[in-house]
Amino acid sequence: MSANPVLAAVTGRRGVALLFLLPAALVLTLIYLGPMLFALRASFTAWLLTSPGSENIFIGVENYTDVMSSPEFWSAVHVTVIYALMSICCGLTLGTIFALMLDSDFYAQSFFRSIMIIPMVITPSVIGIFWKLLYEEDSGVFNAVLTALHLPKVSWLNLDMALPSIILMDVWQTTPFFMLVILAGLQAMDRNAVEAARVDGASGVQLFRYITLPHLVPYMLIATSFRAIAAMGDFDKIWLLTGGGPGDRTTTITIFAYKIGFSAFDIGRTTAVAWIFVVVVLVASSPLLWRLFKTAMRDQ
Amino acid sequence: MVDGTSNRSIHRMAMTLLWVAIALIYLFPYTWMVLTAFRNPIDTLAMRLVFTPTFDGFRTIFVESNFQKYLVNSLLTSIPATIAVVCLAAPAAYSLAHLNRKSSVFLAAVLLARMVPGIAILIPIYLAAAKAGVLDRRLTLVVVYCAFNLPFAVWLLRGFFREIPTELREAAIIDGCSELQAFVRVILPLVTGGLVATSVFVFIGAWNEFLFALALTQSDAATAPLAVIGFRNEYGVQWGAIGAAAVMISTPVVLFAVVMQKYLVRGLTMGAVKG
Repeated sequence: MSANPVLAAVTGRRGVALLFLLPAALVLTLIYLGPMLFALRASFTAWLLTSPGSENIFIGVENYTDVMSSPEFWSAVHVTVIYALMSICCGLTLGTIFALMLDSDFYAQSFFRSIMIIPMVITPSVIGIFWKLLYEEDSGVFNAVLTALHLPKVSWLNLDMALPSIILMDVWQTTPFFMLVILAGLQAMDRNAVEAARVDGASGVQLFRYITLPHLVPYMLIATSFRAIAAMGDFDKIWLLTGGGPGDRTTTITIFAYKIGFSAFDIGRTTAVAWIFVVVVLVASSPLLWRLFKTAMRDQ
Repeated sequence: MVDGTSNRSIHRMAMTLLWVAIALIYLFPYTWMVLTAFRNPIDTLAMRLVFTPTFDGFRTIFVESNFQKYLVNSLLTSIPATIAVVCLAAPAAYSLAHLNRKSSVFLAAVLLARMVPGIAILIPIYLAAAKAGVLDRRLTLVVVYCAFNLPFAVWLLRGFFREIPTELREAAIIDGCSELQAFVRVILPLVTGGLVATSVFVFIGAWNEFLFALALTQSDAATAPLAVIGFRNEYGVQWGAIGAAAVMISTPVVLFAVVMQKYLVRGLTMGAVKG
């Protein structure tokens, strides 16, 4: 052993590394792992907040089988999947179009890019409350516009339209996210390849199909994955626009779990729903997780 | 035939006009919201675009309703949460990027935690807070927001730290710095952009948060997004008040995002694309 400071720094490195990680690790354990394990235990009990002592009545997997066999749960799964899928398809398409249009030559380009991101950062609960006013059948401005265009009024929040309406609202808010990520992709593109293909006589459509689009695919996939995870957990906007209704037409899994927890006070069932949800999200996001993890470990 | 330059400027002009049209249509819901804040409810219901501006909506929320209390609550939870997240995430991210580059367990934990939906930890946290008697406290929200944004912040900052060459730390150590000094004096100043980008994301996230605030607060610690609901009451919709409250809540984040746009885009591409 020598007193060489370099050597000491290298041998001490692991210890220091752990020390630097410790605070964050402690907070994550306390606020993530702890509650999740607590919820796991609770999900095997008949715990009702309204009946004291019930937190120690273990009922095995009954909450899970109960939830999995209830039509309300599957309806919530269905709503969540349609909501996430439709919203992402529309947001991605519109975002790509906007990004391509922003990535051209025109006046005040950065001004337009700045104002187009506004919807992305507006407080979602404010959007939920305000869009409800926009959607009002008689006093809402959307129907006023339709009337002015001599089109029939739409009952935006009725049984059939409620789900499309929350999707429309979400597309409005999330399109800028897709736009920004895809714009970053466009700006990272090799302009020489595009120029060369143009000189070779490729048409605009061919350029997009064979050069731009393949380059954008990884950006689209990443944006889609992140948005999918976020969309599955969306709560505020939907809760304030429709409250999950009419009926359970817009009740997503998060709203479903929230209702069981905070209006029925059924802790056993709500934690079971939460855990099913966690597993579903982790399974759904595992390709993304694996890709991120692999890249991170490789470039270490 | 028109020559190349003027052909190009015609194209530029046409594209600019097209963007004006797109922005007007796309941002219409936002514009309508801002107009509603300064408009008499009668004008709002009559869908007037031209009207005499009024500040009645703002008077309602600030004089009759004490909306400032909720704005202060929002500020006093978002800012401490942002500071706490950055203070916790920076050393962890640095450790992952430079000190222990194979700490796969922590990296995996951070990634997994990031994917966990809020509702999954909401109920146990609510029960714990109720039991500890800390419901409706700002500090409770600060702690929750801090934890909830931590995985993302660590991930994002790790990307920024990785752009710094490792040799810098080694050189600082050889020059006689301790690990802590090397981190604080040498490395940290070089990732200022990353720290700002992370703060922008965390602040916007905390300011906009609704689900935890709804479950964990009543009135004392209620944040501004919760207070808006009150203006949609049983007596009917208070258009001016909702508009004014919506403007008061969204303007800070909108301005913040526009000013900090460079960092926002940097963070998005760092967190989302470079993986």
